[in-house]
Amino acid sequence: MKTLVRLAWRNVWRYRRRTILLVLVVAYSAFATIFYWGFLDGFTTSVITAQARFVGAPVLITNVAYRDDPDPENALPDLAFVPALRSDPRVREVAPRLEFPALIRSAYTAESVLARGIDPEHEAAVSAVPSHVVEGRMLRAPGELVLGRGLASRIDVRVGERAVLDTAGEAGPQAAGLVLVGLVETSAPAVDDHAVLVHIDDARALSGARTATGLALDVPHGEEDAVARAVRPLLPPGVGAYGPLEMLGAIRKDIEANRYSSIPIIFIFSLVAAAAVTSTAVVSVIERTREFGMISALGLAPTRLATVVILESIITSLIGWVVGLAGGYATIAVLARVNVIGGLLGSTYSRAFTSLPLTEEIYAAVHPVYALYASLTVGIAALLALLIPARRVRRLRPAQAMRME
Amino acid sequence: MNRKIRVTALVLAVLATATAKAAPDARTVLRAIEDNHRGGAGRATITLTVSRPDRRTEYVLVVWSDGEERGLVQVKSPARDAGQAFLKVGDNLWVYTPRLKRTLRLPPSGRSESFLGSDISYSDLSGRDIEQDYTARVASADAKSVVLELIPKPTAPTPYGKLTVTADASTFAPQEWLFYDQRGQAVKRVAFSEHTKIGDRLFPTRTIVEDLLRSGYRTTAVYSDYRFGVKVPEACFTLQALEQGCE
Repeated sequence: MKTLVRLAWRNVWRYRRRTILLVLVVAYSAFATIFYWGFLDGFTTSVITAQARFVGAPVLITNVAYRDDPDPENALPDLAFVPALRSDPRVREVAPRLEFPALIRSAYTAESVLARGIDPEHEAAVSAVPSHVVEGRMLRAPGELVLGRGLASRIDVRVGERAVLDTAGEAGPQAAGLVLVGLVETSAPAVDDHAVLVHIDDARALSGARTATGLALDVPHGEEDAVARAVRPLLPPGVGAYGPLEMLGAIRKDIEANRYSSIPIIFIFSLVAAAAVTSTAVVSVIERTREFGMISALGLAPTRLATVVILESIITSLIGWVVGLAGGYATIAVLARVNVIGGLLGSTYSRAFTSLPLTEEIYAAVHPVYALYASLTVGIAALLALLIPARRVRRLRPAQAMRME
Repeated sequence: MNRKIRVTALVLAVLATATAKAAPDARTVLRAIEDNHRGGAGRATITLTVSRPDRRTEYVLVVWSDGEERGLVQVKSPARDAGQAFLKVGDNLWVYTPRLKRTLRLPPSGRSESFLGSDISYSDLSGRDIEQDYTARVASADAKSVVLELIPKPTAPTPYGKLTVTADASTFAPQEWLFYDQRGQAVKRVAFSEHTKIGDRLFPTRTIVEDLLRSGYRTTAVYSDYRFGVKVPEACFTLQALEQGCE
């Protein structure tokens, strides 16, 4: 076998130009596979991060009924279980939130919104929104209001001016004039175009709810789902804990569907690259028929000769795979650290996928399994080599082959 | 020297007290204006003309009011809108649509929509008492008219920065409300005219609402066939009356 490998290795480099071409084809396939998965997973992670830190929360505790009918009437029954949550060392902060549908009015127009009552002291630990104030300041006290910049622009309210929130509370319609103290801009349309942040005391007064519609937990990145599972036994009946993926709801299914629908695309990609390798191997076998005839006449069995051909395909594919791997991982490693994708495409994606919680920070993901996905090309190339050129070599008759020009 | 200063101060104080007594009290004036504006309990027909730069639509409405917080409005014409009705009880608003044969309670998000496409929104119809939300002061007063300047209270649910109310100096019949945004620009004018005496009130039977930011946007409401000061049956302010009328 060692001799066959050596023979195949020599053959590969006897036709240098052809080999380089094949290496490039396989390298491109491996590179594209790694880049594709790195991009796709990075995009998904960006959506989850945006959901966790901008739109929702890393872990959100709500009444199960509130998930089905997000009305303040379905607020948490009480907050007595909060100290128990803190017993988990991964729960770094608990911030109450009270969301309620409202109408926001300026002197010029009005818009229907979902207002969020927050506790300014705790919110900054669970959400990145408070750190994205681009004008004015964050909420400090009741009577104040912070809006997404896009929403403020649409209803034409400036920092220092008053806007009115109307809502239907438990005690009938309620309204309050709140002073706009700050504007937030995160590049996530869900925040910039829709965010209405008020003090939780105002939210309670307007909605009539005495507790909160949700508790946002600050937990270490990557442990969201584990913490959600861990705190569930600590919750009263009818109250659930959800990680960012669970909070995405229907969007989560879209993401998963998108992932599964990618598999045939990647398979076709690998198949095309492997077909290129095989077709070149077939041409190479045809061109070298006389040579194979002579080797065969010298005593090398057709099966071993076919093995040489398969090894040539595998060696070429492996070199291409390694080159593609190096290029692919180097590229996604850079894209995982520098916000190139978000910078180039973030705003386009935000506009195109309005239902997705996306910011303009989109980083690629890096995972060792991508190397395995990319090795599919090598596997298919070896299989096809076994089926086509190797079969042809096995059927070769030395006397006939040597007469071929 | 000291004596001279003390005498001057005393004279100034007396003059100031005298002036204060002569000036009308803003709250009293505002209440008088509001009383004239409300008309009182009764029934009326309103012709509502909605003017836009490219069209003009006329609605005939029949209104029942208890003169306070309850009112029922029924659309009589044009034919395509006839039967539509609106019931206001306190801050609650219900709408009846005959085509759907359904009554809907208007959510806060629906209150931004304009009433029959006019310059009046549903939230204007359910508007709170002006005295509750604004602090009034007399901006000017002469023999002809009195002008009040109303500044919103700190958490008042009004998006306006200022409201000036002009009324007749002797009768306090409302003449004009001018709404300003918080940048000092007038954004909406409501003009009252053709006042009629109803008991001791001077009720304006013609109201023009004008959007000052959009040229050609104007709504005129003209009262006719009105009977104020009569008791309106309680049954008029029910969901049944919303669907079937209150004749």
